[in-house]
Amino acid sequence: MLVVSDLHAGYGLSEVLVGTSLEVKAGTVVALIGANGAGKTTTMRAISGLVRPSKGSVLLDGQPVQGLAPSRIARLGLAHSPEGRKVFGPLSVEDNLLLGAYRRLPRFIGFRAQAGRDLDRVYGLFPRLGERKRQQAGTLSGGEQQMLAIGRALMAAPKVMLLDEPSMGLAPVIVQEVFRTIQRLKQEGMTMLLVEQFAKTALTVADYAYVMERGRVAVEGPPAELRKNERVLAAYLG
Amino acid sequence: MTISIIAQMAVSGALMGLVYALIAYGFQLTYATSKSINFGQGELVMVSAFFSLTLITLGLPYWLVVPGGLLFGAGLGLFVERAGVRLALEQKSEGWILLTIILGLFLFSVAENVWGRDDRPFPTPISQQPIQVLGVDVTPVELSVAIGVFAIMGVIEVFKRQTLLGKAFEAVSADRDAGELMGISATHTVMLSYALSGVVAAVAGILVSPITTVGPTMASALVLKAFSVAVVAGLESGFGVVVVGMFLGALESIASFSLGSGWREVPGLVLLILALAVRPTGVFGKATIRKV
Amino acid sequence: MWKRLLLIRGAELLMFAVLAAVPLAVQNPYALGLLTLLAIYGILLIGLDVTVGYLGQVNLAQAAFLGLGAYTAGLCVTKLGWGMPLATVAAIAVCTVLGGLLALPALRLEGPQFALATLSFTALTVTALNELESLTGGAQGLSLTRPPLLGHVLGANEFYWLCMALLAVVWVAMRNLLASQWGRAFEALRDSPIATDAMGMGTYRHKVAAFALGSALGGLAGALYAFNFQYLQPQSFVYELTVILLLGVVLGGRKSLWGAFVGASLVALLPNLLSNRTLFQVISGLGFLLSLLAGIRGLVRKTIPPFQAIAPILATGVLVGGGLLVANTEDWRKAIFALMLFSVVVGLPEGLMGFASRFLSRLFRIPDPPLPAPSPLDEVLPATPVKSGTPLLELRDLRRYFGGVKALDGVSMTVLAGQIHGLIGPNGSGKSTLVNVVSGLYAPTAGEMLLRGQPLPRGSLFRTAQAGVARTFQNLQLFTGLSAIENVMAALRGAYRRSRSMPLVLLGLGRIEEKRAQAHALALLEFVGLGHEARTPAKDLTYGAQRFLEIARAVARRPQILILDEPAAGLSHPDMHRQMEIIERVHQRGVTIVLIEHHMDVVSGLCNVVTVLDGGKLIAEGTPVDVKRHPKVIEAYLGEVEPGPVEEVAPAAPATS
Repeated sequence: MLVVSDLHAGYGLSEVLVGTSLEVKAGTVVALIGANGAGKTTTMRAISGLVRPSKGSVLLDGQPVQGLAPSRIARLGLAHSPEGRKVFGPLSVEDNLLLGAYRRLPRFIGFRAQAGRDLDRVYGLFPRLGERKRQQAGTLSGGEQQMLAIGRALMAAPKVMLLDEPSMGLAPVIVQEVFRTIQRLKQEGMTMLLVEQFAKTALTVADYAYVMERGRVAVEGPPAELRKNERVLAAYLG
Repeated sequence: MTISIIAQMAVSGALMGLVYALIAYGFQLTYATSKSINFGQGELVMVSAFFSLTLITLGLPYWLVVPGGLLFGAGLGLFVERAGVRLALEQKSEGWILLTIILGLFLFSVAENVWGRDDRPFPTPISQQPIQVLGVDVTPVELSVAIGVFAIMGVIEVFKRQTLLGKAFEAVSADRDAGELMGISATHTVMLSYALSGVVAAVAGILVSPITTVGPTMASALVLKAFSVAVVAGLESGFGVVVVGMFLGALESIASFSLGSGWREVPGLVLLILALAVRPTGVFGKATIRKV
Repeated sequence: MWKRLLLIRGAELLMFAVLAAVPLAVQNPYALGLLTLLAIYGILLIGLDVTVGYLGQVNLAQAAFLGLGAYTAGLCVTKLGWGMPLATVAAIAVCTVLGGLLALPALRLEGPQFALATLSFTALTVTALNELESLTGGAQGLSLTRPPLLGHVLGANEFYWLCMALLAVVWVAMRNLLASQWGRAFEALRDSPIATDAMGMGTYRHKVAAFALGSALGGLAGALYAFNFQYLQPQSFVYELTVILLLGVVLGGRKSLWGAFVGASLVALLPNLLSNRTLFQVISGLGFLLSLLAGIRGLVRKTIPPFQAIAPILATGVLVGGGLLVANTEDWRKAIFALMLFSVVVGLPEGLMGFASRFLSRLFRIPDPPLPAPSPLDEVLPATPVKSGTPLLELRDLRRYFGGVKALDGVSMTVLAGQIHGLIGPNGSGKSTLVNVVSGLYAPTAGEMLLRGQPLPRGSLFRTAQAGVARTFQNLQLFTGLSAIENVMAALRGAYRRSRSMPLVLLGLGRIEEKRAQAHALALLEFVGLGHEARTPAKDLTYGAQRFLEIARAVARRPQILILDEPAAGLSHPDMHRQMEIIERVHQRGVTIVLIEHHMDVVSGLCNVVTVLDGGKLIAEGTPVDVKRHPKVIEAYLGEVEPGPVEEVAPAAPATS
């Protein structure tokens, strides 16, 4: 579903990614782990278009999307829940969710009705969001914002979902809840690429994982193999 | 000076102040999505007013003139965005300051030559006869200003809150990147904000022309006051501009009456400089945490 | 070296000589009047260039200062009967004071706010000039007769020579100023206000100075303007003039005395340009051809965005077409300025002189003046013996909250003199916040910071820098418009004693210090291996070189403590090794270093001791080896430590946490 080949990207003169390649097969969860500064988030941003790759390709369902504007890539079926969640603070929970489905809904009237079923599904998955439909997203707790970000990505009915550091800044209990949700989505067949700082937790949900080091993939394999791999630990703590 | 005269001055001034508020509201719209404003907004007001005047002299009925003027204003707004703002935004520079100033100057010159340098009266179907409201004389024309300002602001606010496109507008204002990830084109949203700002400018022009007459210099003074209002009220709040605008208008009116018409400009300008001095981050930058 | 001297100084000398000779050769009072105006505008634009070219701001107040200077001088002559020198001094003084007063609110403002503040100042000035009729004559204007200069009444020729002489003086003085630390500081301000403060230069004082300087020159030009025309009205100093002045500076070329001169010629000659139709058509045609060529070249080579290529073509095209269609070009004056300025801003942002100097330097191959030999390193960065074990930096219960977020939540830490102290932690752990609080970017919410037992200044990058703290930044904050050596020169501590005083520098007395500063800076560049890139603009250096440069610049501060914020971020393997070598070399000179890093090999390779933060709190401290094995650290980086097969992975980890 998502094939990344030899991706090079960076900010200004600094090249962060120097040839990253990975693949996310349909219906699977792939984890992207590695130390800070290894380039995980940059990889996500290069896939979703927030950063323009200087070399390499990104194929979304067979279609090349590298170099396109992020809004275009989103409309082609990629949903990215970014690092730091980035919910629309001044807007309500429900508005945030509606905007998640922007590409599929009418712009002026009738959008609420058409989104009804998708909204119900998200509220079913995240009852706490349902309780806080009208609340300003900026006033939600960190965990609730993460739920909202995932819900927003779901509303897009995407072909692939990118989750960037969903556990960041969250208490362990909430992190567990988030990952339980990710498990559920996996069971429902959602294709996901997951970046996580907490390697162990990411490996519990992933079907396959890539370990990044200094801008490229150093090790890859199914979680069982990686857990036994000394190099994985080395990638984090030197 | 009796209380009633002061009250009279204050009310007429406040009604005029609503026009400043409206122009400041236009600044808010573009600032929200792009952190930029059109320094030549006064010329947009003026040219739209002239255009509407032309439509009237061509014989069009009023119910066509107004939409015509508004469409023209939207077009001008898009022109400003394309020619003056987009390049600077893409390069993440502040070149739009100078470029919008230049575009304003250009439009001024065009207006001067196409329509002449003299002030022309703007015919209006609304009566100029003062009526008594709560002991103060107001003309229906002045009242129309108030109604028009609130009407257009109201319509745009409804648009922002009730339509998905409007929500997208707010979303991009809150977080441009996140908006893009939703499939909302930030560029299109900026275009929309400039088009709306142009519409607002046209409305301001049409509303104020019956009172001030239409001339090339009609709006240059207006815009500086609008800047003052925007600085004091902040470029984030929707309705603070209304309050500040009315206050400034009233203040100006009283100053003009007591000190002489030339001094009319002073409260606004002094207010602007003081406000810029007192607000440490000024208008064009919330107290954001600096990232290094 | 002689080639350079000959070409550049020679050209200037020649120009002034020719200009001085004009009244002797030509008996045309009209031409003389134009040239006098040229000198006056030259002074005015040189003043404007300080804020527009060097500081990079849109300054809309220069027309106001011209007016204020003119009226002050005029009133001194008519109401007080003063002679030329005194009236001129008064004009300069009034404008400097008003400029300083305007600078106070305008100072904290950047970009749009600055433009707005200056715009309202201009509007206020014109209103005041109009309304204070009893003083200024209001819209009717103010008439004056040219006052005598030291008892002698000046004829047209003599007045012309006076103006040219003053222009020459201003030229030389400003050249001295802008080639000194002042000029560097102005440019540094534009490129990175944060680094300007952090490198101890001070944004505040330099902004006021730049603005006051510009307005002082505006006042001088104003006085001459008044003596020239002998009639003033407020309408002359309005918005339109301000835009014309900007046109002059931008078209002529920013940051260039020649550019200001070329721009002044344009401004003085503009009315003539417009009234003479053929001349106008020739020049607009030329402009059109140039934009066409440049635009096509840019499009084909894909060096510039399409808009930047096409828009000037359209604008100059309209100029040409308009010139043919329109009845009277005078009426369309403002549109013509607008189109010209638009084409220049979009298509030729460096202005005519910028373009010409690149062209000329390629043509004549003028070498840069040779750099002096680098100073011995001991003069620049003396190797200080270190009393190891003494605490240098002490942080006690340091807190920094951002609203509800506790970025730093009670961190206590001691950095011992002579050590390289590492600071690590996962994302959001507070390490950047800690460094930003210590260096003064943010004030702490609570807690103490002591350097050598003395409390550190809080919340002020500038004062903390003065106290002996230097730092680099995670996202580079180089002065991109300056060369490598200039970046380092700007930060040199204690190198500028004479150069601090503006009058001394204007007189050219700062040059010896400049040479010595160059030698010092070169020594530091060689220290980090960048000696051969001394003259390369910082923005053209490779990323690795930029990182090394930032260290050289910080070390120029001769700091007591050097904070490095992710110095290896984004570096390739070989560059990372070089960076580590540089840091070790700095350490050997006795500088205490605090190092934030993600790359564990950098930390292990360099640090004597490491502090680990997580969630704003200190969770571990010790040698790099100890810290790597610490269970809490592993947990913080990798997530929950689960029982079972996982324990095999952690090498020699303690059995319990």
